[in-house]
Parts: sequence; C-alpha cells; structure tokens
Amino acid sequence: MAPPPPPSGTVLFLYLLLLFLLSTAAAASAAAPEEEFTEELLLRPLPDRKALAHFYFRSSAPPAATVGRHHHLFPKAISQLVKKYHISELELSFTQGRWNYEQWGGFDPMSTSNAKPPGVELWAVFDLPSSEIDATWKNLTHTLSGLFCASINFLESSTAFSAPRWGFKLNEGNLRYGALPREAVCTENLTPWLKLLPCRDKAGIASLLYRPSIYKGYYHSQKLKLRSSQSLGIILDQTLTVVLQPNTINDKQLHSNLGQLQPSWSMRHLFNRKLSGKCLVSKYSRIFIEFDKGIVDKVNKSGSDLSWNNEFFVLSNGPDRLIKGLNNLEVQSSFIYEYDVSNYSEEKPFDVGITWKLPLIWSCTPSPFHASRFLMGSGNERGSIALSFTSTNLQKIFGSPNDCSIKAVIFQMVPWYVKVYYHSLEIFIDGNRKTVSDVVDKIHVTPSEDKLLPGTLEMLLRFPCSMQSATLTLDFDKGFLHIDEYPPDANQGFDIPSALVSFPEFNSARNYPEIDPLLGSPLLENFQEDTVVKSYTEVLLVPLTTPDFSMPYNVITFTCTVLALYFGSLLNALRRRIGEEERELTKTATRHGLIRLLLAKLRGQKVNPTESGSLSESTGSKKLLFKVVLVAVAAVLFHYFSNNS
Amino acid sequence: MASGRWSRKPSRPPRALTLLKALLLPVLLLAFSSSSAAAAAAMHNNNWAVLVCTSRFWFNYRHMANTLSLYRTVKRLGIPDERIILMLADDMACNPRNSYPAQVFNNENHQLNLYGDNVEVDYRGYEVTVENFLRILTGRHESAVPRSKRLLSDEGSHILLYMTGHGGDEFLKFQDSEELQSHDLADAVKQMKEKHRFKELLIMVDTCQAATLFSQLHSPGVLAIGSSMKGENSYSHHLDSDIGVSVVDRFTYYTLAFFEKLNMYSNASLNSLFNSYDRSMLMSTAYYRMDLYERPLNEVPVTNFFGSVMKTLHTDSAYTGFLAAHDDEVPMSMRDNQHDHFMSKNEASARRLNREKEAQIIPHGWTEVLLEQLEGKNTDIVALYGLGAMGILLALSTWLSM
Amino acid sequence: MAIRYYWPMVAAAIGFRFVLVLFGGDLHLASRPEVSTPLTSLRRLAEGYWLKQASMSPYSGSMYHGSPLLLSVLGPLTSNRSGGKNAHVYCSLIFVAVDFLAAMLIQATGRILQMSRNRSLKSLDLTKAVNNSANVSAGDIASLIYLWNPWAIVTCVGSCTSPIENLMVVIMIYGACSRLAPLAAFGYVIATHLSLYPAILIVPVILLLGYGPDAPTTKVFLLKSSSSSKSDMRTSLKIQRFSWMTVLHFIFWLFIWSGYVLLLSSIILKKVDGLNEMFEKTYGFILTVKDLSPNIGVLWYFFAEVFDFFRSFFLTVFNMNIIFMVLPLAIRLKHRPCFLAFVYTAIVAMLKSYPSAGDSALYLGLLGLFANELAEMQFTFFLCFGYIGVSLHSPVMHNLWIWRGTGNANFYFATGLAYTCLQTVLVVESVGSMIKHDRKLRLLVPS
Repeated sequence: MAPPPPPSGTVLFLYLLLLFLLSTAAAASAAAPEEEFTEELLLRPLPDRKALAHFYFRSSAPPAATVGRHHHLFPKAISQLVKKYHISELELSFTQGRWNYEQWGGFDPMSTSNAKPPGVELWAVFDLPSSEIDATWKNLTHTLSGLFCASINFLESSTAFSAPRWGFKLNEGNLRYGALPREAVCTENLTPWLKLLPCRDKAGIASLLYRPSIYKGYYHSQKLKLRSSQSLGIILDQTLTVVLQPNTINDKQLHSNLGQLQPSWSMRHLFNRKLSGKCLVSKYSRIFIEFDKGIVDKVNKSGSDLSWNNEFFVLSNGPDRLIKGLNNLEVQSSFIYEYDVSNYSEEKPFDVGITWKLPLIWSCTPSPFHASRFLMGSGNERGSIALSFTSTNLQKIFGSPNDCSIKAVIFQMVPWYVKVYYHSLEIFIDGNRKTVSDVVDKIHVTPSEDKLLPGTLEMLLRFPCSMQSATLTLDFDKGFLHIDEYPPDANQGFDIPSALVSFPEFNSARNYPEIDPLLGSPLLENFQEDTVVKSYTEVLLVPLTTPDFSMPYNVITFTCTVLALYFGSLLNALRRRIGEEERELTKTATRHGLIRLLLAKLRGQKVNPTESGSLSESTGSKKLLFKVVLVAVAAVLFHYFSNNS
Repeated sequence: MASGRWSRKPSRPPRALTLLKALLLPVLLLAFSSSSAAAAAAMHNNNWAVLVCTSRFWFNYRHMANTLSLYRTVKRLGIPDERIILMLADDMACNPRNSYPAQVFNNENHQLNLYGDNVEVDYRGYEVTVENFLRILTGRHESAVPRSKRLLSDEGSHILLYMTGHGGDEFLKFQDSEELQSHDLADAVKQMKEKHRFKELLIMVDTCQAATLFSQLHSPGVLAIGSSMKGENSYSHHLDSDIGVSVVDRFTYYTLAFFEKLNMYSNASLNSLFNSYDRSMLMSTAYYRMDLYERPLNEVPVTNFFGSVMKTLHTDSAYTGFLAAHDDEVPMSMRDNQHDHFMSKNEASARRLNREKEAQIIPHGWTEVLLEQLEGKNTDIVALYGLGAMGILLALSTWLSM
Repeated sequence: MAIRYYWPMVAAAIGFRFVLVLFGGDLHLASRPEVSTPLTSLRRLAEGYWLKQASMSPYSGSMYHGSPLLLSVLGPLTSNRSGGKNAHVYCSLIFVAVDFLAAMLIQATGRILQMSRNRSLKSLDLTKAVNNSANVSAGDIASLIYLWNPWAIVTCVGSCTSPIENLMVVIMIYGACSRLAPLAAFGYVIATHLSLYPAILIVPVILLLGYGPDAPTTKVFLLKSSSSSKSDMRTSLKIQRFSWMTVLHFIFWLFIWSGYVLLLSSIILKKVDGLNEMFEKTYGFILTVKDLSPNIGVLWYFFAEVFDFFRSFFLTVFNMNIIFMVLPLAIRLKHRPCFLAFVYTAIVAMLKSYPSAGDSALYLGLLGLFANELAEMQFTFFLCFGYIGVSLHSPVMHNLWIWRGTGNANFYFATGLAYTCLQTVLVVESVGSMIKHDRKLRLLVPS
C-alpha cells in the first residue's frame, strides 16, 4: 500500500519556508563581514639606546552561524578551540626577559597591555556554568600545550591556577588565571604561533621574524589574545613585542660637543631581513614609527616641526601619513609616522630607518608608582614577601592636590608550598607603620590549601598622593614537599609568579583625533582602548629545603627498625613474668626439666636416641613440619592472590 | 670529553616498573581478545619517530644536539612533524648560556642550525619523565592529551626510537632524577607489540653501556642499536669552544655522517649503516641486537626507519584498516574527552564552590534555634559565654561530687 | 619526707617563666620545630583567627588545625599585636598560669598517690620494709620536675598551645585519682578534643575510677589475706570491688561534656562548614600526617620519603602501633592505672604524628610521681644524658640543615631516631622496673 500523499498545504508551507530560508541566507551573506586579516608593525626608539618592535596581527572571523565551519583566513584550530571550550576571552603570552618599566615606559598602552610577566601567562574567561569551568580549563591547557609546543598543561593541576574575582580583571567567577614563570620560550613556541597567520612567515610583515635576531633581544613577548561573542564573532590578536639592541649603521657615535648620539638603525639592521611587500590576503599592511612624548616635547621646545626630517633626526623614507596621539589628558603624547607596505614588492623591498642628527636625552612617562617585589629573611624555614612602591611623582605632572589619594590594586598568587600568614600583613608608608585598615580599602583572600589550591591575594589600597614610598610585607613559612614533588633540579628553587599591580584611576589610552575611524588600524584601535595602568613585578625565586633524594630505603628501614625495637622490647618487658614463673616451675617440676635437658642433648648430639627422646623429637619435627607446611600454604595462597589481582 | 659513567645505585624507586605491572593485566586481556582480529600481518604503511633527549643542564648540550640532528635527518628523509614525537629535557636553544640564541649546532663549523625555523618540540623540560615516555610508547594518556603528543602508530608502523642521555648498566637516566630500566623498556615494547602499535621497531640508543638497555627485550620485530657494550663509555666527538661544551656524541656523529650522504631515494641498507661504525672512531663498540628481527638486514633500506618512503598500493575500495585499529582505543583529543573530566568531579572545584558559599549562612538546625534564643548575638560572644558557663558547670559538678 | 624549699622553688620557676616571657622576645622559640608543631603553633592560631574574622573558615588555608574553642579563647589575644616583638605576650601569660595550675594538680595527684601507697603498704605490713629504702614526697618532686623541666619552660614561653593540652591531661588524671568523675570527664573530653591521642587514656581513667589509685597487685593482697587472720578481710574486700557507680557517673559526664564541646564548636563554626570540616582538618590532619615539616619525631621524614603507594599502609601501621600496646599494658598494669596513664602518655609522645617537647615535658613530669616505685630503674644515667645530648644536638642539626645549608636532612633525622630510641628505653625500663617493684612487694609479703 502506498503511503498517503502529503497534504498540499504542508508542501506549500515547506516551500515557503525554504524560500524564506534562502532569502535570509542570501541577505546574511550579503551583509555579513568577511574574514579579515591585518598586519602591522610599530617601531619605536627607546631612551636607553634600544629599539622596540611591536608586531600586531589581527584575524577576525564573523559570527560562526553565518559562515559555518569553513574558514578562508582565520585559523581553524583557534575557532575550534573557541567553540569547544566556550571561551569568551583568552590571553596567552610567552615572555622572555622583563619589561623595564622605568626606561621603556609604564604609562603607555605598550607597557600596560604588552608588558607581560616572564614565562607563560594564561587567562581565560569562559561562557560556561561555574561547575564546568575547572574541567574545561584543564582540557584547554592540554590543547594549548599541544598547539604551542609548551608545557602549558602544567597549569592543569588545581595548585597552578586560581580564580581571581576583581584583582586581575573584574569578572563573575568565570575567569581562570595561571602562570608558569619558568617556562622557556623559544623557536618552537613561535613556529606554531606563526602558523596561525595566513601567510605564516613566508610573506608580509611576519617574514621579518628572523629567529636568531628576535631571540637576541632584551625582551621578547609573544601574545595571543582571543575575544569571541555572538555579535562580533572571533577576533584573534597576535602580537609580538621585542626590545632589540640595534646594530648601529655608522660608527660616528660621538657628536662634537653635545654628547653621545642615539644609535641610528633601520629595519634591515634590526631584523637582518628586508620586507618585500605585504601578505597578499591582508587587508592592511602598515608600519608605524612612533616617537614618545619625551621626544615630542623636546622637538617642540626646540621650535622645529615634527616632520620626518627635522633638526634631531631624519627618517630614511618619507611617510605616507602623520598621526598625532593625545593621551587621556588631551596632551599631545606621541607622534606616529605611517608607511603602507602594499606599495612595495619583491623588486622594491621596503626598509625604513632612523638617523639621529643631534644627541637627544628623553625619558618615558612612568606609572604613578614603581612597584617591585622582593624576599626578606634567610634560611629555609620562613621568610617574608615585600612589595614596595616608590612614587615617581607623577601627580606633580598632573598637578593634583596634595591631600588626594591614589588607588592601587594588587593581585598576587602564591603556590601552596609558600604558606603565607595573611594576618601578618604590615604596611609601612614612608617608613612609618600604618594600621592595615587605614590603607587597605578592600581585601579578598583565597588561602592556599596544601597540595590543592594556590593562595590568592587581591587587595585594593589607597595611598596618599604625598607618599614617597610604601612597603607591604607578608610573612610566610616554607613548606616541605614529598620527594616526588620536587622537580629534577630541586635545588634551583621554586618560583612565585609575578604580582600584578594596577592603578585603576590612571588610564593609558591614547587618542588619535585626526585618524579616520573607518580606516582604523587594529593596532591604533588597541591603543585607544581604555586600559588601566598596570605593571607586573619580578618573579621571586624561593629556595626550599630538600630532603635527601637517595634515602627512601634507608629511612624506611631505619624507622621501621626503631618502631619494631619499641614494640618488641616493650612486649618482652610485659611478658617477662611468664618466663620467670616457668623458671620457678622448672625448679619444682624436675620431670619437665629432664625432658628439656634431653631435648637439648638430642639437638647437640644425635646418638643414642632414647624412646622418650625419639618421641619428643618426632613431635617436635611434626610441629616443625606443620609450621613449614603452613608457611608454604600461606606463600602459595599469597602468590596466587597477588597474581590474580 | 668523556661522558659521565654511572654506577648503579639504589636511588629513586622504579616507579615505572610498578606502574607497568599495575597496567599489565588489562593489557593482556585486551591482547587476547583482539589477537584473532589482527592475525594477518599488516603491510608497512607509515613511519613514526620518537626522539628522546633525557638530559637536563647546559653541559649536556650535546645530547640535545644529538636528538635534534636525528630530528632533522628523519624530517629530511620524509617523516612529517606530526609523526615525530620530540622530547627535549631542557631548553638549550634559548638558554641564557647560549651565545647563539635560538640556534643549536652539532658541529663547530656552525654551518647548520639544527633548531631552524620550524622545530616542533612535543615534550620539553619537566615533561620529559619516565612516566610520560612510557605513556607515549604504550599509548595510555589522559583523555585531554592532544594528538600531537601521542604516538598514534598502528600495526603497519615502523617506529624509530632514538634515546640519548646518561646511562649505565641496564638503565638510562632521565633528568638526573629518574631511571628508565631495561625491564621498563622491554615491558613497554611488549605492550606495544601486543597492542599492535608497531610492525617493526628500531631502537637506537647513544649512552654509556647502551647495549645493556636491550638485554630484556623479547618482542619480535625489534631491532636495537647501541653505541657501546657493557662496561664501555660512549664519548663525545668534539668540543665547540664558542659554545663552550661538547656539541655531539661520537656514535651520533658517525650515524649522521652516514645519513648526510643519503637522500630520500637512496637504497642504502641497514647493514651498510651498521658496517659504517668503526670501533677506532667510535672509541666504543657499537652493538646490534638482531635476533628478534626477521628480515635480513642487507635487504632493509635505512629509509624504512629513518625516512618515510613506501610503496603506493592501488585499492578499489576505501582503506579501512586504520580506522578499525584505532577507533576504540585512541580518543580524539578534540572530541568527547571533556565528558570524562566532568565525570571525575575534582576536589578543587568543589572547594572553590565552598569558598563561594562563604558568605552564606548554612543553617545548622539546633544551633540556629539556640542562637535565635540568644537574640542573634555574635557567635564569638556566645562561644565565650559558653566557655564561661562550662567553667562554672565544671566547678559546680566537681564540688558536688566531692 | 617533704622537700625543704618547695614553695620558693615553685615561685622561682614561675618567676623565671615570667622573665623569659617579658624579656626573652629575641629567642624566637615560637618557630622552633621542637616547640611548636602545626597543631599547636600560636602563629597558625592567629592566622586561623584572622581568617575567621574575615568571615572565612578558620580551617581554610591548611594553616590552623586546632580546636575552635582555643580559637575563641586565645584568638582575641593574638590580634592586638603591640609592635612585633612580644606579639603574643598575653597568651604567654595565660600559659604560665596554666603551667602553674598543672604543676599544682600534679602535686595534688602525687599526694593522693602517696596516701594510697602508704595505706596499702600499711595494710600489707610492709611500711618498714619499703620505707627504709626511699620515701620521698613524689608529688612535690613531680611538680618541680614539671616546673623546672627546660622543655616545659621552652614550651610555655614559646607560644604554643601544648601547655593547655598538658593541663587537660593532668586535670583528667587528677580528677580520676581523686574520684571526681565530672572533672575527669572534663579533662578527658577537652584533651581528646584538643589533640585526639589522649583518647586512649580512657582505659587508665576508668581503672582509676573503678579501683582507685595505684596499689600493689591484688594477688599480693590475696596472699596476705590468705596468710594472715580473717580480721584483715576488710582490705582485700575493699580492693576487689570495682565501683561501677563512679564509672557510670564518669560516662554520664563524658557524654555531657562531649555534647557541650560539640555544641560550642558548632556555634563557633556555624557560619562556615561546621563540624565536618573541623573533624577533617583536625583529626584528619593528625591521622594522615599531611604536614611534612620537620619535628623531633621520625614520621615527617618517613612520609616525605616513602613511596606514594605505600603511604596509606604505613599510615595505618603507625596509627595502629599506638593502639596495639594499649591492651597488653592495661592487662599487665591494671593495678597501677596512674602509672599506666604515664606509660600511655609517653608512648603517645613518642609515636604521635607531630610530637613536640611539650609532650615529653608532660610525661617526664608524670614520671616524677613514681619516684619511689622506680627508684631502682636501670639506665637512668644513660637516659638522662641521652635526653640532654639529643636536646643539644637536635637544634644544632636543624640549624645546619635549614639555616646554614651545610648539613642535610639525614643528620636531623638521626637525632629524631636517637630520641625515639631513648623514649623507647625509658618506656621499657620504667615498665620493667615497675613490674620488678611489684614482684619485690610480693616477695616481701610473708606468705
């Protein structure tokens, strides 16, 4: 029997539905943004004769629903990662060296968003119920470790990551933070990072990344930042910040009377590579040369204009555009020369450099307080962590009144084997001890649990503006670990990850009033974002006492011997009465003693076995035999069961 | 410079061994249940390499250079990166002591940067442990471990296992703190055989007394080469005065010298490789164990292990062997392993949840009632009153019972 | 025969403690591993109190592992820190008072024991035979030993809570000796609550309450009564009877006090996880030896070195080791429950997971109570100098290992081993000589 034909109404409905779907799909595809890729590089001379290079690659994928699973430019591994682990934000940085906040600046977007603690730092915000986050984090660390050839999977254990609430970044308990201060950063981490770019390092700005010159730098930080939401899709920002010592072009460093010239450099000298055109799939490919507020002020003071060929320096090429940057107080704070790489090609490689004409000494704007952290105390039993703040007198620059106060937020994570006594928190301001409640506005502590959780300290402090220095100290006891918990190089010590100090009242955002927002470059956009001024402190190295690693067998045997000695001798002392009574009995009962005598004789010399003797011997041997059999049966049973289980 | 020679001493326990013992039974069961399915000998269809440098610290630079040289060689001869598991116990390339950052050399002429632009290290630093090594071989990983860190070989695989480090009589030291014993290695290989994880396995070891590491091997299809006999040391080849340490070991140096002459299409046999070792140059006796290996060595091209060259086979239907071998035992890292983690509800997350409850008041029934009676006084004060009352009660009762 | 300058010596000991408390701030005794253990450290208590004030569980953070009652008694005293040095001076003053009280109770216990001893000797007509050897006032000696024992002084001054634990044990023994069931139950409950191990003292306490204080074995009385005329039946009858009423009374109070302590604890911990967490973090911490920081025992190094898969086995063995000897000792020494309590205390001090000098101070003080019975103990010279040697060596080895980095853990562990051996010798010898003493009495009884 044939099935009844479907009613015509349903067919019509389905048809309409199909039409509707098609039309919406077409509309969506027309309106949907394409996947985009931009590559940018920012170069900046630094006051201490070094040069900073900041690579910025942005790949963005439109919301997943409209495109499906196929990607043209966007790395598939990343979009899978985002989808599988429901990540709404993620940042992973590999850093070698430490950002010098005094020389290289502490109040600009570069230092606040690209200065990272040494080693690996990973944080992620998940779009998941809180019960699933920890498990997802574990899987995420494993995946990232496979993706970036690093031991990020060590962040999997609950002793390695924490869940800060507001000290690191305001969140609703769905953020996880972990750091591996000792993780080595090398080529094998850069390679997979480059493989996420559509042109890899074969073309475009990424082709400048010649490994030996990059890793020769003083500071090297490679970062991957992911943002994903239903409306934006996925935005992947990959940045690489290096501080290099330029190989100077000419040896004539000394100027006649004004002191030493800054080293002149060009891209070719910095990277040992030339740039032969852009990565063809990139939307924009730009190079910026930025000059700091310090230089801008000096040049302005000298009365010359900020053209690319002025009294102090000359750039090797004329820029395509000049961009003025203002800081959040609407003071001109930087000057950027823009070059468009798309005008250059293999035949006409791009190179830009700077040649100094006059010696120039300038400094970068520091953060309001210079934060540093150190350990106090000696020996391997206890110590204290001290966090010191030194004022950079920034408020004088801003002209704030003297009776104001400056907020500072501290976020610090300590591993469990550094057992911090939070009640021992002491605060000294300008050398005077203050009560904690005077300075601390808000404090949130997650104490460490042995072998389970690291300790987390989040603190909001309020310092008076007139303060010159402040020191916070926290006492701790050093833990003692099981021998298996020590790493192979145990005597090197253990690391306490960097603390993060941020100043929520200070914002490092730049403003570029002349720039067309539609032409927006992600790098400058990023500089315009509201970013709180923050700085990472030093990583601390805590030496822990080690037991003797070769001792387990000795310790087990010694300890068990002593305990057996105790047990045996005490038991012996308790049953001594029985022995004595027996002796008393032997005195009275001679027959018993005779048998004993016989037995002793039998054992000594086996001649002339008397009847009674043989009898006793046979019973003795029976007992012996019984014992042997018993032991044998026990052994066989044990063997049997141990083999079975 | 002579490499260190280690006498055997009781130090840390052979944890690996007991681990293996604990794991052995299920393996046996598995092997029996699936032995009939895989009775037919599979064809050689892929190549894998596991390259291990077990030594930490800068003065062991040469071990890393050895491993990286082999890595470069097998890559040159056609094994792709995803089929190479590279384990490096320390970071030499970006070590602060290295005056050539991001570069590793195995020769003082510095012509060849082994670290290159495209090196993928799968296990590095503290991850290089005996446990992880055995996990790689036997394929028993946590579900979250990504594919790139697994040895996903099958019954048609030829595997090259290269190890270098400091060894002694029947052991190889990992990071100066653990030991891989010959029993551990033999057990792992046996498990691999029973799980059909390889067709043929070439173990190449460059340590002192390397030959002793093979003494417990019993699995068929295994070929072993060691750099020295029992009681012999393996020596380094030469010192690079710029780097300040020895850069390569003799055995590896001459192995590489052999391979440098070859390309992917060369037909050099294993026999010619073995014959290329000269005792006077090695300063030790290279040792081969071939009693477990069936094919005559002069018919086996070296590219069977050190490269990835195979015949193309035309089939009418889709090849299913690989799927059948792997579907049930190797979970895809990106698939459904998350579930497992959710199942094993870990203590830490529970604890974090507890923390979140900290502000809430957990009702306690009877104490609640009591506190209500006390009109919501501070618990501390209540407790102090309670302690005072206890003192009074004690005094009274004692006095009464006197 | 009383000690001549008893009260001046007591006053001097207390005065000495005061001096150390007030002016000895630089001694850093509080962080000595011999003095404060993770369980008794006052610094950890202060951290627990801080956490509690910050409305967190005092047990979060693996810092505090003590009782919530101590937290609410001593906690407020730790928080007003008057400038670093003498941070815990108020607590130390309390500990001095506690030590004095403990010494007085030991003396009172000694007097009771003396009386009962004299009575039983009299009933056996042995007064002359025994008294010609030695008959000192054991209570005075014991209390002076407790007060002048350098370890007790160090424990008292070094801000840790073991003086309170010791006091509770002493209260229990005193209460049981003087047949004050509520007092004995109070001491027992609090001592068990504070450090778990005194739980095994239930055996001597019940024996004390049931049979009364130490006396020669019943066999001796039987011998005596069988040999002498029937007029002496009175004594033997008195000895035989086990007074169930007192024991039931004790058990009744035991429940009352336990309930009361649990109630108070749960009130204090009401806002946090409550009693479950308390048991997990105090008793669980004691039984599983989670903290591996060095102390004068041997278990810390053992569990730092032992292979993980043996850990639970050895935990069971070592915890059982304490319980194993309870029954044999109780059977053998049931006529001397007070001495039995001493032996148990010594065994606990030797085998507990976090031993400290305070535990040793307690049993050495109690040892003084049996000065007459143990007058013929062997190896006293060896023991005395062994104790002195260990207490001199141990800090040196600790310093070399932890502070100077020139020694290693094995040296310090070796002093721990030696110390355990010494304690073994002490326990075995004292038990042996007590048994010998009893036998001597039996032989002296004219049969």
